[in-house]
Amino acid sequence: MTGRLFPVIQTGAFIVLALVLCSLIFAAVGLSATGTLAAIIDGAFFRPNALNHILRWGLPLLITAVGVVISFRAGYFNIGAQGQFYLGAICAAFAAEWLRGSPAFVAVPACLLAGMAGGALWALWPALLRVKAGADEVITTMMGNFIAAQLLVHVTSGPLKDPSGSGQQASSRPVDAAWRISESSGSSPVIIILAGLVVMLGWWLVNRTSFGILSGLAGRNPVMVTWQGAKVQRIAVSAFVLSGALAGLAGSVELLGPNGRLASGFLPDHGFTAILIALVAGMSIVAAGFIALFFGALTSSGLWLPIMTGLPSAAIDIIHASIALFITAKAGALRALLTWFRR
Amino acid sequence: MEDLIVAFLRSGTPLVYVALAGVIAQRAGIWHLGLEGMMITGACATIVGIVLAQSVVVGLVAGALFCCLLAVLFWFVVEVLKANQIIAGLGLTGLGLGGTALALTAIFGSEAAVSAPFGLPRIGPAFGAFGGLSVLVAAMPFVILACWLLLCRTRFGLRLAACGEHPFAARATGVNPAKMRLVALLLGGPLCALGGAELAAGSLQIFSVNMTAGRGFMSFAAVIFGAGHPVGATLAAFFFALVGALGIRAQLAYGDRIPSSLLLALPYVATVIGLWISARIRGGNAVSSRELGQQ
Repeated sequence: MTGRLFPVIQTGAFIVLALVLCSLIFAAVGLSATGTLAAIIDGAFFRPNALNHILRWGLPLLITAVGVVISFRAGYFNIGAQGQFYLGAICAAFAAEWLRGSPAFVAVPACLLAGMAGGALWALWPALLRVKAGADEVITTMMGNFIAAQLLVHVTSGPLKDPSGSGQQASSRPVDAAWRISESSGSSPVIIILAGLVVMLGWWLVNRTSFGILSGLAGRNPVMVTWQGAKVQRIAVSAFVLSGALAGLAGSVELLGPNGRLASGFLPDHGFTAILIALVAGMSIVAAGFIALFFGALTSSGLWLPIMTGLPSAAIDIIHASIALFITAKAGALRALLTWFRR
Repeated sequence: MEDLIVAFLRSGTPLVYVALAGVIAQRAGIWHLGLEGMMITGACATIVGIVLAQSVVVGLVAGALFCCLLAVLFWFVVEVLKANQIIAGLGLTGLGLGGTALALTAIFGSEAAVSAPFGLPRIGPAFGAFGGLSVLVAAMPFVILACWLLLCRTRFGLRLAACGEHPFAARATGVNPAKMRLVALLLGGPLCALGGAELAAGSLQIFSVNMTAGRGFMSFAAVIFGAGHPVGATLAAFFFALVGALGIRAQLAYGDRIPSSLLLALPYVATVIGLWISARIRGGNAVSSRELGQQ
């Protein structure tokens, strides 16, 4: 089989397996498996204005997923996309607060840059702990997610609290209407161009620069790359910081775009979904572009399900989790399974 | 002082049970990031069992069975299909969190928190201020001792460690690492269920969606901090619990001056610091134990 086709078939096969597991779980809790899956697909692709919803959820996910691809390719499991996304949104919100009254062409780029800086900083400390002390980045970035969530609660109920807000969910003052880069309900040319730029620059970085080639090699065999004289630690820190910056950019896009304000606990599954996108795309930036739109459709369907059909939105979480469970499985292992049983 | 110790034991015991499950898996060479999902499954099954069957035993048995089911699924994915342990573990956690939410909706019609009429049996007023603690707290020292004996003083424990450290050597002596890992994960299932049961029914008698709030991951961090040793992991889990209990104390005392959400973040910060310290102690090179474990 050709080298490119096999991974695609393997990925597809395991996604089917994941959907079988989902159907079993749906059946176990008394939902109709086919009916639920049909409703999810219906909500994802065939609702009114579906394309707008897909772009609205898919493009920020795509930006974060490109960052995840960069760090995973370098061999580092940066699970902290969620925390970096939150820190990006928090820093962008602070920038928006300080720049209140300045014109949009100053404020919008400044907020986006502040978001990138915030995400990058939230990825920097796990990176330093990893390369300087050897502390495992899976757990440190995971704890970073929980700390960032508490920071978000603190910021939205403390320094940036909206005094007029009366809802149950604490939130910040809304961003100046002139600075919004999209409507509340959808996407806009600015976000599309931004996501397109991120994909192009990400593709170039991964496939056409020495950093991309070396980080890909370091992800597979760090010892060899060290012996060849490359500075693995520098590659590691750069990969972390880049992925954090992109997650932070997604956070500031969400703040200036569809959300318009900071709410405590907003989009709690963003980081995990972005990791799934990177894995399903097989660490390819171009593929991530398409896969992100698919997961964006699933996410929008998850919000639509409880309203329109009364199905619980946890059904989408189950689909995501099952895909995560199976996506890194290897088809060759099935043959090993047969020999194991025969023995 | 006494109520601080009670709070400390209450928050520490679930972590210890789950961390012991993580230690057994870690010794067999599995990075068990699915602990969180198994813990919340145990918590949910216990409360649902108490509510529906009016029996703690039914709840505990159901929790243990569901956790063992998840353990087999996890074993199938990482050992037979050779999936990445970290990603598959996160998937298992997502399955537990989403599955319990779905189960609540299916049984009670909404995702609202469920409270049980009674919880685990308490150790009784004979123990004074500690009488409100559940029997699982009292059983904990014996469980730790049993784990230590099993892992560090038996032939089985030695073989398990061999499967984790050098599977080829284990295979050469006739031990099947795949089977040993299945046994390790199955041993961890009931332990996770007990941890979840203590969390949900030990003092609160309530189950809500996402109630574990990262405690499973914290237990996993305790496994790493404790160098994969049952006693070390127990001490690490109690360290995290102590920081959490002190944070709650500080919230009561200085709640008007220090934001409470930042105090709630303290256990996670302590976990990061604990990992940093343990990495420094272990010689701190850039190659972490994960790569070494997955040779």
